[in-house]
Amino acid sequence: MAGISFSEVRHTYRPPRGKPVLALESVSLDVQDREFVALLGPSGCGKSTLLYLLGGFIPVESGAITVGGKPVNGPGRERGIVFQNFALFPWKTVRQNILYGLEKQGMAKVEREKRTQDLVELVHLKGFEDSYPSQLSGGMKQRVAIARTLAVEPEILLMDEPFGALDAQTRALMHEELLAIMRRAPKTVVFVTHDVREAVYLADRVAVMSARPGRIKEIVDTKLKSNARGEELLQTREFNDRVDHLWKLVRDEAIRAQGAHE
Amino acid sequence: MAGMMEPARRESLLTALRVGSGILFFGAWQLTAMSHVFSEFLLPSVPVVAERLWHDLVSGDLVSGIVLTLIRTFIGFALAAVGGIILGVSIARVPLVRWFFDPLVSAGLPMPKVAFLPIFMLWFGVFDTSKILMVAFSSIFPVIVEAWAGTQNIDKYMTWSAMSLGVNRHRFLWEIALPAALPQVFTGLQVALPIALIVDIVCEMQMGGEGMGGSIMTDMRFADSPGVFAYIVAIAIVGMVLVKAMEITRRRLLLWHQETQTA
Repeated sequence: MAGISFSEVRHTYRPPRGKPVLALESVSLDVQDREFVALLGPSGCGKSTLLYLLGGFIPVESGAITVGGKPVNGPGRERGIVFQNFALFPWKTVRQNILYGLEKQGMAKVEREKRTQDLVELVHLKGFEDSYPSQLSGGMKQRVAIARTLAVEPEILLMDEPFGALDAQTRALMHEELLAIMRRAPKTVVFVTHDVREAVYLADRVAVMSARPGRIKEIVDTKLKSNARGEELLQTREFNDRVDHLWKLVRDEAIRAQGAHE
Repeated sequence: MAGMMEPARRESLLTALRVGSGILFFGAWQLTAMSHVFSEFLLPSVPVVAERLWHDLVSGDLVSGIVLTLIRTFIGFALAAVGGIILGVSIARVPLVRWFFDPLVSAGLPMPKVAFLPIFMLWFGVFDTSKILMVAFSSIFPVIVEAWAGTQNIDKYMTWSAMSLGVNRHRFLWEIALPAALPQVFTGLQVALPIALIVDIVCEMQMGGEGMGGSIMTDMRFADSPGVFAYIVAIAIVGMVLVKAMEITRRRLLLWHQETQTA
């Protein structure tokens, strides 16, 4: 079981110089096993911070985060993460990047070579196994990052605006690929984004966060009844109603966030 | 405009420019020598120096001078490289080491290290030991600084990725921090090697003990100006070869790096 529970999580960001900033104020949220939840909010609302707390990269100071009932205490292999800037190891080839986590697991050589080859095919990078990240396009780099994370078979996938650095066309392709991968091997996903349409398209539920200090403002069910996919789905009334509703919520917060800066 | 040319033509143009700069330099030297602004003693002509260079090469004096200078330079440089990387990485990763060395490195970096030459002579004598230590002491600072900066500024997200894939603290240094810092560490080595050569030659000129610097001083004492100029040219060529060799090594070693892809 890989359910996630945030309970009254508070976080204060302390910059090396300057005043401490209250980034998150009492966030409570439950994510079910194999549920796809998007965290949506204006930039600076603390949604990435919430993800990093869940990842165990920054310590939980106040409140509690549990995964499968156990409190988060540092990074763990059951929580894989994909970042916006890919964060690949630039000195390793595509194959070596994907292999890294498997080597750390101590998997036998034959087995990990095979797993890596399967993943290369899964993310459509056949023929690029021996390329370095600097030789790849943004979309290809992000596919490598996803494959590297999936390699160690995490139960939970944390995604930090993973498609934010890609052009619109590539992003749409990546959405389809991600959904296809999730259909083959369902996982619990927490997906941070500021793109309303992306959130509605991908997620089962969308948690809208308020401007700083971040709270969960509203949780919207975005599991759509329509069986349409791709372009067709984007045209449906159901999809666009959800987008409109969420867009209003986010816009209010974005305006508030701007007001707070002035 | 050069960027719009086809690669083959562009390459031959660049080669022509490189050769051209050499021709221009030696041409200007020869013309100045022929104009007799300086006496033949103060500025010997290019053929005289070339002939002398050839003579010393055939006699083996030049080669033994170069070899001796390079041995001292490389031993000193190797000490600086190993010590500088260890120290730089430790400074970046161990707060206590940083606390101690930060002011020392800041003070030592801009200091003219050759100022310590008399003291080194008193402490370590006038033979190889003092020269090699002087070379190491002079060239270690850029290595420390670059290794420090390189391992200090590792991308947070890359670090987190490695952690979530299961790297532990000890392996992190070898598997992530050092490879990530390699481009910057190598920059430090590229700065350090010419410094090592310069300082070794200065030491040889001050303390004697042959090598290219020692030979220059010997020729000077015998008022042998073609010999002095021949060694200056030889030093320039040796320096150029070292710098180019480092560039080639860098390209080989950093095949994965952005700069190599765009070059």
